[in-house]
Amino acid sequence: MKRTGLQWLAISVLLISALSANADTRPQYGGTLHITTSMSTSSLDPAEMPDSVGARNLVALIFDTLVIVDATGRPQSALAESWQSVAGDRGVEFHLRRNVKFHDGNPLTTEIVVSSLRKANPAWNVTAGGDVVSIESAGAIPELLQELSLSRNAIAKRDATGNPSGTGPFHIVDWQPGKRLVAAANEDYWNGRPFVDEIDIDMGRTFRDQMNALESGRADLAEVAPEQMHRAVSQRYELLRSSPIELIALKFAKEAASAQEKASRDALRLSIERQSMHNVLLQGAGQPSASLLPTWMSGYGFVFSTEPDRLRAQQLRDQIPGVPSFTLGYDNNDPLARLLAERVALNAKETGLSVQLNASATELRLVRIPLASCDPWSSLLVLNNQLGLPPIEAKAHSLDQLFASEQSMLASGRIIPLFHLPLAYAAGTNLRDWTVMPGGKLNVTGAWLKSSQP
Amino acid sequence: MRQPIYNSGIPGILKSVNLACRPARVRRVARFGVHCLIVLLCTFASASDWSSSEKQLAQKIAAVTGPGAAALTIQNRSSLGKRDTEIVQNGMESALQEVGVRLVNNEQAATSIAVSLSENQTAYVWIAEVRQGTADSAVVMVSVPRTAATTRLPDSMPMTLVKTLLWSGNKPILDVAILEGDASPTRIAVLSPEDLSLYRMQAGKWQAEQKLSINHLKPWPLDLHGRLIPTRDHALDLYLPGVFCQTASAATLNCRESDDPWPLGIISTPSAGSSTAPLLAGFFTPRRNFFTGVIAPAIGKFSAAPKFYSAAFLPRDKYVLWLFAATDGKLHILDGIRDQISLTDFGSDIATVRTNCGAGWQVLATNADDQSGDSVRAYELPDRDPIAVSAPINLPGKISGLWTQANGDNAIAVAKNPETGSYEAYRLTVACN
Repeated sequence: MKRTGLQWLAISVLLISALSANADTRPQYGGTLHITTSMSTSSLDPAEMPDSVGARNLVALIFDTLVIVDATGRPQSALAESWQSVAGDRGVEFHLRRNVKFHDGNPLTTEIVVSSLRKANPAWNVTAGGDVVSIESAGAIPELLQELSLSRNAIAKRDATGNPSGTGPFHIVDWQPGKRLVAAANEDYWNGRPFVDEIDIDMGRTFRDQMNALESGRADLAEVAPEQMHRAVSQRYELLRSSPIELIALKFAKEAASAQEKASRDALRLSIERQSMHNVLLQGAGQPSASLLPTWMSGYGFVFSTEPDRLRAQQLRDQIPGVPSFTLGYDNNDPLARLLAERVALNAKETGLSVQLNASATELRLVRIPLASCDPWSSLLVLNNQLGLPPIEAKAHSLDQLFASEQSMLASGRIIPLFHLPLAYAAGTNLRDWTVMPGGKLNVTGAWLKSSQP
Repeated sequence: MRQPIYNSGIPGILKSVNLACRPARVRRVARFGVHCLIVLLCTFASASDWSSSEKQLAQKIAAVTGPGAAALTIQNRSSLGKRDTEIVQNGMESALQEVGVRLVNNEQAATSIAVSLSENQTAYVWIAEVRQGTADSAVVMVSVPRTAATTRLPDSMPMTLVKTLLWSGNKPILDVAILEGDASPTRIAVLSPEDLSLYRMQAGKWQAEQKLSINHLKPWPLDLHGRLIPTRDHALDLYLPGVFCQTASAATLNCRESDDPWPLGIISTPSAGSSTAPLLAGFFTPRRNFFTGVIAPAIGKFSAAPKFYSAAFLPRDKYVLWLFAATDGKLHILDGIRDQISLTDFGSDIATVRTNCGAGWQVLATNADDQSGDSVRAYELPDRDPIAVSAPINLPGKISGLWTQANGDNAIAVAKNPETGSYEAYRLTVACN
């Protein structure tokens, strides 16, 4: 059928009308961004804050690191404008960005960088020479750049009382430890002034409180529990999630003392029904996992079977005299952790193992571990450190060696992976251009509020 | 929301629409042919890229199994399409046979090879789980670089917007100017936040000629915009927030803090060679991402427009109609007497192009498409409301710049490709249908 000119015009008009709702504009300046978070910290010193994604988000507002990693895990310059390896990859020399100032007005110097990095890494050999900061180690440190991008290595200038000052996109206006942080845009930020004038962060809120705050308009941006993600979507909030970056696992404090204990742990591992927990308790969020690194990061995670093997578990249990028993600890403030722990105990009982629940138990705990970064090697090395396992000796960081190292860590029997969960955030429609990195880091430096006028 | 109102038919557009409709069958056949060609080319490209990885994985598998019979299964767990999976499957079968692994049915095999085509953030990961008898399976794997992306065919409208990738790089870019070779560029200038780079096309690739640093004392705004304008004697003017630079000679770039107004409408004057004459200039805020609204010279009785992100113009018989994509989200149309507000679907970036189609001048305007990045579309204003005269053309990501080229015949759109992370500059031209 031939279309007439008038028909084409009518189509054009309809298209214009249909697209009107999506019209976009450049970012607008101004306004206060209200954020709620479950994270609570009594200190804003990056070297003292316990590692969590919430803490990383907070640090990134106030402080900068020498390098950052982009969404694909590649290092990019931040306070360090350039760098070069020296002495056979045993060290790196960093050239600092010029004309960068701390929030207290002092310039960024090599001496301050050295002091800051030494506080966070007492074992490192960090020196300053001219406008160059050198970091050296006895052995090769191929993951140094990834390491430097971690929030604990953010550069802070500490005054006589130990209060830290940063160079980041926002400076502190009001700090109520553990409760509230108000930060204002750094007008002279080296990477461009943020669009919003102020960020107001309400800390220590449960997921339920956060959703209430979002619904009532008291918050523009809130965290969402993984099992509640579908609810947030149905309420028409903009929901962004990271890749599954948080490892939920059973972590043993020590190595197995005997072959019998090792067999007990293996029996426990083989008794766990991850899929049913995933369907019911997690409402399908995240992924059941028997690997330390998620498949999106390594590419091979599915090779480690998540299926229970009751028969093999029974065989192992039968080799052990008496009833093997564990006491499982969990975070009492984390309702999901308790539910998961109960299911682990139930699965264990069905295999003839005894698992008692005691929130404060330390020998075996159900833990949430935020993986350090999107780089598989960096995440694995940090995890290896956290578990207190022998250092990984890998001459070349190849895919084969990554797989072998992870196999070795799992074989230690110190950790039983259960799930990889994404971190999710919801925002009202007035908040634009906020992003969540695959590693869970929330980026609000480039965010802007639609209602505000430039 | 107010809808466009039409006072009368627009003969020029109706004519071009009707002409566009007549040879529909011929165009459909041609389009089908082009589509087949693209699919065929993609297939060949994919197949040739993967053979070395197939061989590498086959050798690793053979190192475990040794020569002999084995059953092979392949499961795709990645974003590879069905067709590509079949190509890899065929390639793996050939590669395994080349290293002495004879493929048989499951019932006949003591060795099974389960290959999973997986992926991580940076590459495809192909994994083979090799099980021999009742022993635990051995796992071998290879990392396979990703291949390039796809092409889309244009839609049919009175005009067609055509995008041509001009430049792609890892560094942010603000603007690109074509210096030589108008139809087929042979020399370009690329404006980045920290430098101006000149490139010459040699043997089908852009070769760097020169890089000139941009000196600025104050930090750039977060949403940085910049303009690059060729002037007389092959010089270049660079307009950045609070900074103006000029190429003084082939090897130097002189920059100074400046609040000089940026040229908004440019019409090339052939008599003066490559020189250009700005119709209007606007003052850009040094620490933000928009124009203050102060303009020079005045548009009729208006010495200022609303604060705006970008501007375009449409010459009329006795005056020039100016369009401003204002910071209030509306399109302001100034004819010298009135400031008319039009509620359009325009984004923040608009630009004028001069063509041989329709009314001879079109406005290109961005529009957000959350699914696949931003899009650009050509419009005409027969009266005072824009009418789309082309289908939207998608760019790979959010458009950060849309500027008319100095010759006025085409525009440059800059976008960041979220899949590759690269910054891409496209030349946008309007073709008559």
